[in-house]
Amino acid sequence: MTGAEHLTASEAVRRLEAGTLTAETLARDCLDRIKQRSAVKAWVWLDPELTLAQARAIDRAGRPGLLKGVPVGVKDVIDTYDMPTQHGSPIYQGNRPYADAACVALTRAAGGVSLGKTVTTEFANRFPGATVHPHNPGHTPGGSSSGSAAGVADGMMPLAFGTQTAGSVLRPASFCGIVGMKPSFGLIATAGTKPLSPSLDTIGGFARSVADAALFIAALTDRPELLPEAPAPAPRIGIYQPAPWDKVEPATLAALEAARDKLGRAGATLAERGPFPAFDGLAAAQSTIMSYEAARNLAWERLNRGTEIMPRTAALLAEGVAVSTAAYDAARRTAAAARAQCAEFFAAFDAVLVPAAPGEAPVIATTGDPVFNRPWTLLHLPAITLPCHRGPSGLPVGIQLVGRPGEDARLFAIALFAEAALGIEA
Amino acid sequence: MPNTQPHRLMATEIVRMVAGGELTAEAVVASCLEWISEREPVVRAWAYLAGQAALERARGFDRAGKKMLLGGVPFGLKDIFDAAGMPATYGSPIYTGWWPASDASAAALPKAAGGILLGKTISTEFANRQPGPTSNPHNPVFTPGGSSSGSAAAVADFMVPLAIGTQTGGSVIRPAAYCGVVGFKPSFGLFPPAGMRINTETLDTVGIMARSVGDIVLFRAAMLAIPYEPPAVPQRAPHLGLCRGPHWDDAQPEGRAVLEAAADRLAAAGATIADTDFPPECADADAIQISLGAFEGLRNHMPELYRHEALLSPQLRQEKLARGRELTLDQFRAACRAAEQARTAAREWARGFDAILTLPAPGQAPRTLADTGSAVFNAPWTQFAMPCLTLPAGAGPDGLPVGIQLVGRRHDDSRLLAVGLWGESRLGQGDAR
Repeated sequence: MTGAEHLTASEAVRRLEAGTLTAETLARDCLDRIKQRSAVKAWVWLDPELTLAQARAIDRAGRPGLLKGVPVGVKDVIDTYDMPTQHGSPIYQGNRPYADAACVALTRAAGGVSLGKTVTTEFANRFPGATVHPHNPGHTPGGSSSGSAAGVADGMMPLAFGTQTAGSVLRPASFCGIVGMKPSFGLIATAGTKPLSPSLDTIGGFARSVADAALFIAALTDRPELLPEAPAPAPRIGIYQPAPWDKVEPATLAALEAARDKLGRAGATLAERGPFPAFDGLAAAQSTIMSYEAARNLAWERLNRGTEIMPRTAALLAEGVAVSTAAYDAARRTAAAARAQCAEFFAAFDAVLVPAAPGEAPVIATTGDPVFNRPWTLLHLPAITLPCHRGPSGLPVGIQLVGRPGEDARLFAIALFAEAALGIEA
Repeated sequence: MPNTQPHRLMATEIVRMVAGGELTAEAVVASCLEWISEREPVVRAWAYLAGQAALERARGFDRAGKKMLLGGVPFGLKDIFDAAGMPATYGSPIYTGWWPASDASAAALPKAAGGILLGKTISTEFANRQPGPTSNPHNPVFTPGGSSSGSAAAVADFMVPLAIGTQTGGSVIRPAAYCGVVGFKPSFGLFPPAGMRINTETLDTVGIMARSVGDIVLFRAAMLAIPYEPPAVPQRAPHLGLCRGPHWDDAQPEGRAVLEAAADRLAAAGATIADTDFPPECADADAIQISLGAFEGLRNHMPELYRHEALLSPQLRQEKLARGRELTLDQFRAACRAAEQARTAAREWARGFDAILTLPAPGQAPRTLADTGSAVFNAPWTQFAMPCLTLPAGAGPDGLPVGIQLVGRRHDDSRLLAVGLWGESRLGQGDAR
């Protein structure tokens, strides 16, 4: 339990830079932990020799870039040229892409080590993979980025990729008690990532601290200016009750209440962000867009390999086929109009505090309900989950902070403030 | 029309004749392949031709005898998309020898509707500006435009009635106009991009080309897997905004003359036409385009840059990718914000018209194969996410086609296509027959 795998990425980078840790040792410690904890079933593909060879090459190259040899888990809807990419589907069993996804190439260029492929639900939708919650195997880790969230939470690696179309980064982060970051739509290049609903699909990351999440996103964009210099002093945080508020469970209510208290005591300016009717229909619009686009972007699979698609995904696709283009166009117009109102929504706030999930992780049959993530994904806003509380089964419950359009760096600074206020330790 | 060779037919005619037993899908495909073999040495529209597979598919279709939306219609797919059983190069030597296992949605959906994929059409390098070998079918020393060079040339040359392209700046509308065909770039995001090599995801838009607006309406239904009704030309004449735009000074004389003449003819046919120009929020479209393309383009090309840098063209490395390295996050963010404001303003602006009438390109195609022409008349509309349709409407000094462009309200593509049908009925189908 004392290996380098438990270090935050930021601490590992310090030691790698100082030469007190090698990329090879770090990768080896992560691989050891993974082997020890195979019951979590976070991984769909590992190739330890390949990973160690990568790490040694980075050591030889002087541990360059922002990541300097930090290992990263790659969700298995993201292409890798040196490992299979199977999209959580038997259709893609053994599939070997020709090239890396853009975000994997950016990781390598930043000195990151691709540690292996983490379990995803089928096509990053809702049919679960094998992964269990690292704190209680009877519960879901959430999805669709199940293996990435569980692996980071379990100390297998400091960083991992997720993708979010509805709530697939922020919800599993909340369930697993870690930091999940969904950057602004379009910040992280998507080439080579399997599309589900391209107007929503957003690449994000899991980490055990806000600084680590910022480090990861800065590395993925090759933009060090995303690294926050200091916590935001006295941020203005809006308290907002998104629909359907009656789905919020007591555990999440308690988490929000605790966060509100602690943020206020630490010096944040808190005020109610009152009802905002323009946002009320967004969860429904997101569902319409997602099913319509999924049915068409998974057309080859649906039309040629339909019998190999699991019922839950098949149902989404059937729903999407039935959505009329007029209904889709109307949902797109709703989204465009709502995006144009974000300035008004955030007029008095730097961020809003909202639920990350209805409550703690449910039992294993589902990956949980993304209803509190859908609107923010549709609005393309940066959002981050922080661990905050425990639910009735003793499992983590997070909160979600949503930032202003395109202000990812500012959201990181606010999240640093919140992390300290909430007393989170990685 | 028993004397028309099958490869010259419209897609709608092929569907009707095949369904009615007047023609077999095999005869259509064979006719297209024969014409391609004659013309391809000059036009060079194809990166890969799957002739035998297409013939087999056509025979299978004929045997099954099912009536389908695109039953028996051959189509071409820009080589920026994957298709099972065909190589995919994305216009780059880096991918030589890569054979994807599955179809892009842009291949799978038309195939499922009975369309027959003939092969992959030439794309510029990753749908950027480094041209492939394709020439303009009207005169081989002129560019067909790009980046969807092969698709536009193949449709214009009667090699195939339908083809698929993509537009990040002006890569569907401009080549369609240069080659004298109908090009449709829908509202951003309408056609599914799965299986397309991404260039700039906030701008990349899948589009289609055909030789009539009616064929575009048919192909659109197949691409979206939506119910299809043969469209009627609207009775009501549209209200059009005539937008000469901020680049009017860059237009060639023939481009201006064809636009003005088309406006006169449409007005004479009953359209009400009001002069209009970009709202002030839309003034920075060119700079925004460069920033978005540089930031996203650099990052999306990182897999090639990291492992195969020497195989990227010097043009791509020295221009777009170099700019991407220099662009700060603040500059990118400013461009995103400005683009969002421009989209919002453009949406309001477009509500005043059934469509905006404007240029699809400066004029006829440039006399070169080294450059695919300027996208200044396209990039703003791509960025505003608005649906665009180009129709052939005249000719330039060298006899090459010159088109007009109709731009519709975002996420109201049906209205634009209705205006296009009306406009086509008044302007004629160019020299496409």
